[in-house]
Amino acid sequence: MPRCVILGACLAVCAIAVRAQTPALDAGGTITGHIRLTAKIRAPLSANAYPSRAIGKHEAPAIPEIRNVVVYLKDPPFRGALTPLRVELRQQNETFVPHVLAITKGSTVDFPNDDPFFHNVFSLSSAAGFNLGRYPRGQSRPWKFSKSGLVKVFCDIHSHMSASILVLDHPYFAVPGADGNYEIRNVPAGQYTIVGWHERVGERSASVRVDAGRATAVDLTVPVEDVP
Amino acid sequence: MTRPAGPQPPRLLVRTLAVILATVALLLVAVFVVVFVSVRDQVRQSVTSDLESSQRIYAAVESRRQRELQTQAATLAENPTLKAAIDTYAAEAPTASETRRSFWLTTINNELDKVAARIEADAMILADTHQITLAAVGRLGDRWPRGRPIALAGKGSGTLDGVVRAGPLVFRVVSVPLQLSDTPIATLYLATSLDQQYAEELQTLANARTAIVSDGLLVASTLPMAAAREFEASPQSRQASGTAVLDGESYAFRQLVQIGNTSFFALASIDESSRAATRAAVRNLVLIAAGAALLALVASVWLARMLTGPVGRLSASLEAAGRTSGVRVQLPLTGSSRELDTLTETFNAMMASVATAEAQTQAAYTGSIRALATALDARDPYTAGHSERVSVLSVAIARALHLAENDIEVIRLGALLHDIGKIGVPDEVLKKPGALSAAEFDIIKQHPVAGARILRSVPFLESHIPIVELHHERPDGRGYPYGLRGDEIPMHARIVHVADAYDAITSKRAYRGARPSGDAIREIWRFAGTEFHAEVVAALATALPGVTTEGGELVIEQVHA
Repeated sequence: MPRCVILGACLAVCAIAVRAQTPALDAGGTITGHIRLTAKIRAPLSANAYPSRAIGKHEAPAIPEIRNVVVYLKDPPFRGALTPLRVELRQQNETFVPHVLAITKGSTVDFPNDDPFFHNVFSLSSAAGFNLGRYPRGQSRPWKFSKSGLVKVFCDIHSHMSASILVLDHPYFAVPGADGNYEIRNVPAGQYTIVGWHERVGERSASVRVDAGRATAVDLTVPVEDVP
Repeated sequence: MTRPAGPQPPRLLVRTLAVILATVALLLVAVFVVVFVSVRDQVRQSVTSDLESSQRIYAAVESRRQRELQTQAATLAENPTLKAAIDTYAAEAPTASETRRSFWLTTINNELDKVAARIEADAMILADTHQITLAAVGRLGDRWPRGRPIALAGKGSGTLDGVVRAGPLVFRVVSVPLQLSDTPIATLYLATSLDQQYAEELQTLANARTAIVSDGLLVASTLPMAAAREFEASPQSRQASGTAVLDGESYAFRQLVQIGNTSFFALASIDESSRAATRAAVRNLVLIAAGAALLALVASVWLARMLTGPVGRLSASLEAAGRTSGVRVQLPLTGSSRELDTLTETFNAMMASVATAEAQTQAAYTGSIRALATALDARDPYTAGHSERVSVLSVAIARALHLAENDIEVIRLGALLHDIGKIGVPDEVLKKPGALSAAEFDIIKQHPVAGARILRSVPFLESHIPIVELHHERPDGRGYPYGLRGDEIPMHARIVHVADAYDAITSKRAYRGARPSGDAIREIWRFAGTEFHAEVVAALATALPGVTTEGGELVIEQVHA
């Protein structure tokens, strides 16, 4: 498996550091931490007879790989109404921006086309099978995700385009900032499993105990190299 | 001509023919060997260079074909639905229901099937990132059940090219990765089965027999089965090029390409190629040989004729000469060659000297005999010169009778010797003046036989014997010594008999004087038919005036013949 190297050392390491912090003002606790991408998970392809034909690829917004990681609690008990979100997944320079999106169940995603040519958005995922059809620049089509799960989104015109939408049935998730730091607020006190997810490595989890009014720090290491 | 007993030596013609034919045959054999060896050598070189160009052509065509396949594969790899189904399946398969899984797999299969018909590959295989078969379509797609790992053994020009085994089958593959946002999600393999059909296509391309050997095992070949098996087993199948004897045939071979442990070979039979060339050469040589043999035949006949013709003429004239004129023979020059003419001249010169020597010998003999005859005549004064005279007269008579010159010569010498037998007659009988007694006459009558006996000891006087022996025979049979009659007496003897009688009558004797010529003729005429032959007597009468003086004396001039 030469193209996808997971360093053995990193497999073993899901370095978790739980540190006591000063109490917070909120009713629930807060989980903060740092996500570190460690391993090279892909090697450049040595032979691709067909050079990538993506046009304007270099003008595509450079999204740091850390932004493709989602941190969330694994199956937390959540009772209450989820706040539906309305977010955009833009199509720019034959790329979905952002590449990874985390939303709550019931949220709606708009798919505006910024490219001077047609795009298409479709999915074959169990959580949301849809096809928004083809539409030109300037248009946008929405899709409401009413089922939780991972939704893979593709373009039927440009085969190299893909995006992942993580539809969660609770609000305890975050996408780390460019610096790798994340914060999940208002987590009821309790014992949880916290997960760092990346589409190519899946979930990397750790245990975390959240106390009310306090911030708990959990650092995760995800074996993905941050390819600039 | 007599030859020694035993087998005769062969004719000259046979010898020349044999020598020329043997030379021609030797030359032709040498030429054939040289031609055969050089034909084989050239064929080997041309076959080898053919294989080299085959390799170049194959390399060019094959790399183009691989590129095309890669291009096709790359185009197929840009199928969005296929990618979406693969990626979604990969993300959800561990947790999804069987229904969902089969939905994605069906989608994948459908997408593959759509394009498989347009691809010239025996199988199109989709493998996940762990190189495990996800789906396979195409003619031999069923060789790749889902879950079967793909081990790319030996890589070709590109990292993704190589040879893949599937049970007994060996496939040549090109592959391309399926990528999403530069991340590989699967690999698409286009597989070409290295089977008999491939080997035959390769044969058309390489214009030679082909063999594909993988891991030391024969995969496919257009060679005859036995030769293919031998090639599989031979160490040559590990080499890049060379020659090998397979099933009794000599082959030149060359590796077209090697991918890992799999080698593609082109093989060409040197024997097969050289057979045609050798056959053509042999046919030409046989034609040349036939022509040369014909030419040799004609040439040797001509040569033999050139030699045997003059020699034959020489020996024929020699034989003819031997039959007729004894040693006095001069052969004509053949003019065919200097050597033969020299031989003829030498022979002629030799014969001339032999003839001269013989003539001298004869002259010496004749001289001695004449001296003897003269001496004999001289015993009795009355008979002095008698033999000479009889000789002259006999020749004259013979001339009158128009005898041949040969006969005249015989008569000349024979007449000279006719009384040689009288050497054995005692003087008292010979010189007795009176009449002889019967006993004395018997002694006298023995002189012809005695003379003949003397002459028999001298070979060249053989023809003169009848004259000496029979010059006293008479036509009426009353002569001596044998009493022959008429025609039994040879002409020579008859003439000498008449001449002898004439000289006796015209000579002086002890008991009478010499009588004149006329009397003698009359006397002789009287006994013509009884004692003398009539025509000889007539000839005497005719001849006498030519050889006698007016007085009837014989003119003795040319007695020394």
